Amino acid sequence: MATTLERPVEPPSARAGTDRGQRPSPAGWAARGGVVVALALISLLYVFSNKEFRSDALAAAVVLAIGALSLNVLVGYAGQISLGHQAFIGVGAFTSAYVISQSNQSFYVGLVAGAIVGGLQAVVLGLVALRVRGLYFALVTLAWGFVGENSIFRSRGLTGGGAGQPAPRPGGFTTDRAYLLICVIALTVVLLIDWRLVASKAGRALQAVRESPQVAANYGVNVRAYTLFAFGVSGVYAGIAGALFASQRTNVVAVDFTFALIALPYLIVTVVGGLRRRGGIVLFALVYILGQQYLPDLAKHLHNRFIIDNAGFVVQATSGVLAILTLIFQPDGLGTVTAPIGRWLKGEPFVFGSRGGAGAEGLSVRP
Amino acid sequence: MPGFVVAQPLVFGLANGAAFGLVAIGLVLIYKSSRVFNFAAGEFVTLGAFGTYVGSSVVKLPYPLAMVVGVLFGTAAGLATERLVVRPLNDRPKVTVLVATAAVAIVLIPFELMIGKVKPFPARPAIHGVGVKILGVYVSPQQMLIMLALALSAIGLAWFFGRTDLGLATLATSQEPTASRLVGIRLNRISLLTWGTAGFLGGLAGVLLPPVTSNFTAGFGTTSVLISAFTAAVLGGMTSIPGAFVGGIVVGIVQAMAQFNVNKLPGLHDLPGPNSVAILVVLVGVLLVRPTGILGKEA
Repeated sequence: MATTLERPVEPPSARAGTDRGQRPSPAGWAARGGVVVALALISLLYVFSNKEFRSDALAAAVVLAIGALSLNVLVGYAGQISLGHQAFIGVGAFTSAYVISQSNQSFYVGLVAGAIVGGLQAVVLGLVALRVRGLYFALVTLAWGFVGENSIFRSRGLTGGGAGQPAPRPGGFTTDRAYLLICVIALTVVLLIDWRLVASKAGRALQAVRESPQVAANYGVNVRAYTLFAFGVSGVYAGIAGALFASQRTNVVAVDFTFALIALPYLIVTVVGGLRRRGGIVLFALVYILGQQYLPDLAKHLHNRFIIDNAGFVVQATSGVLAILTLIFQPDGLGTVTAPIGRWLKGEPFVFGSRGGAGAEGLSVRP
Repeated sequence: MPGFVVAQPLVFGLANGAAFGLVAIGLVLIYKSSRVFNFAAGEFVTLGAFGTYVGSSVVKLPYPLAMVVGVLFGTAAGLATERLVVRPLNDRPKVTVLVATAAVAIVLIPFELMIGKVKPFPARPAIHGVGVKILGVYVSPQQMLIMLALALSAIGLAWFFGRTDLGLATLATSQEPTASRLVGIRLNRISLLTWGTAGFLGGLAGVLLPPVTSNFTAGFGTTSVLISAFTAAVLGGMTSIPGAFVGGIVVGIVQAMAQFNVNKLPGLHDLPGPNSVAILVVLVGVLLVRPTGILGKEA
C-alpha cells in the first residue's frame, strides 16, 4: 500500500519533445541574459525613481494575482472548482483586520493569522468536496460564498458590522510604494511555493488525482489527503491575498467581498491567464487592474464620458468576453504566450504553443 | 415556540419559491438534455426584470407589453448563450461549459451596472391592490400571479413532454443523444429549444419577482435567485421537472422561515443573512444525505 508515484527519470511535461542536445549559442545566451537584465533594470528604475507610478493599483494587481493563483490551485491542480472565492479572500481579510485592530497585534501576525484561518476554512470546505461529487460541489462553493458575503462578514462582533474593521499597514510601509514592496515579496513567496509544489511529489500526485482519482488511488496516492492538501494550500494563498487586500484598503468592509467583485473577476483572471500557467495569471492580473487604471485616461482623450465613469465595468465585461473566447479557442489562455518565453529563458528553443498546460481537456473535474 | 411567525413567511415563501421553481425548471431542462450546469440562469432572470424596466420606464410601453419585452429579453439571452457559448464547447468537459456560463454572467452583470450603477431599479406590480387575506396575511395579486405562472408553466411543460412529438424528441435526446441523431432528430435544434425555454422561464421569473419587493438591483438574479434555484433543482433530483417545481416551493418557504424566525432562536438573534445560511444547510444536507433528491432518479 505504501507505494507512491515514482519520480520519472525525466519529468515528461518539462522535457517532452525537446532535443536536449541542442543548447543555445553564446549569442543566444547573451540575448536571454539581456532580457533578464532589462527586466531587472526596469524594476530597479521603478524602485528608485521619485515619480509615483500607480503603486496602489500595482498592489491591487499583486493581490489579485495571489487570489487568482489560489483559485488556480483548486481549478488547475486539484480539478475542483470554486465559485465562492469572495468567502476565501474575505475570511483572510477579516481575520487579519480583526487580529490587527481588535487584538492589537502587528500586521505580520495578522497576515499569518489570515493565512492560517483561510487555510482552515478551505480544508473544511474540502471535507465537503470529498463527499460531494464534481459539478455539484461548485454549488456548495457558491452557497458558501454567499454565506460569507451575507452572513459572516456582516456579523457585528467579527467585522464591525457595516462600518468595517480597520486594518492599518505595518510601520515603515504605510505609503503605497512601500506597501507594494510587501505585496511583491508575498507574491514572490507564493510563486516559489507554487513552483516547488507543482515540481514535487505532491504536484504529481495532484495531477494523477485530477486525471483519474481511481487510477491515482490504485497507484497508492492518498486521494483524500491530497485533495484536502490542495484545499489547504488554496486557502492559505487566499488568506494571504485577503490579509494584503485588507491593509491595502486599510479598512475592510463587507461590501468589498461580493460575488460580482471578487469571485467572478478572480475566476476570469485564472481562466484568461491560463490554468496551471503562473506567468499568464500574474500577467493578466496586471493587465486587468492596469486596464481599469488607464482606460479612464484613454477615454479622457476620446472625451467619452461613459467610459470614464464605467472603466471598471468595461474592463470586466471585456475580460468576460475574453474568458469565453479563451475557453473556446485557446484553453491555455495567456499561458500560450508566457510559457514559451519562460522555456526560452531557461535555454530551450523558442517554440510557440503550449506543453503540459491546460490543453483542450484542461478543465477537468473529478467525475 | 414563542414569537414565531408562520403564515407570513409561508405566503412570501410560496411566491418566491414559485419564482425559484421557474428558474429551477430551466436548470433541470438544460441538465437533462446536456448535463450542463447553467450558471448564466441568474442573468436570464435579471435580463427579464431589466427588459420590463426598459419597456415600461424608458420606452414607456403599456405594462403588459413591457412584460412581454422582459420575457423576450430572457429568451434571447438563453438562445444567444446556447449559440455563442455552449455550442462551440459541445465536446469539452462539462466544467469548461460551467465556467463559460459563469463567464456569461461576468459579461452581463457589468453591463447592467453601467446602466444602473448600484442603485436599485424600480419595479411596479402588474396588478395593483392589497390582495386577498388568507390565514390572516395579505397575499398580493403579484404573488398570486407568480404562483399562477409556475402552475401554468408546469402544466405547459407536462403537456409538451407528454403529448407533443417535439417534447418526445427532447426527452429522447436527453436519454440517448447518438440514437436520437440517427433517427433524424436535430440535436442542435433541440439544444436551442431547451436553452430558449430556460431563458423564457428565467425571464418570466425576472418579470414577476421584482415587483414583490418593488425594486431590483443589477445582477440580482445571480446573487439572490441562482443559488436558490440550483438548490431547488438539486432538492428535486436535478433531472425531475416536478421535483424542481416542489423543490422551488420548499426552498422558498425554508428561506422565508429562516429570514423571519432564525433571529428569534436563542443565541442567533444577531445572525445576519439567515436565508443564505439556510440555503447552504439545505444544499449540503441534501447532497450529503440524499444526493438523488426527493423525486430524482440520479444525482
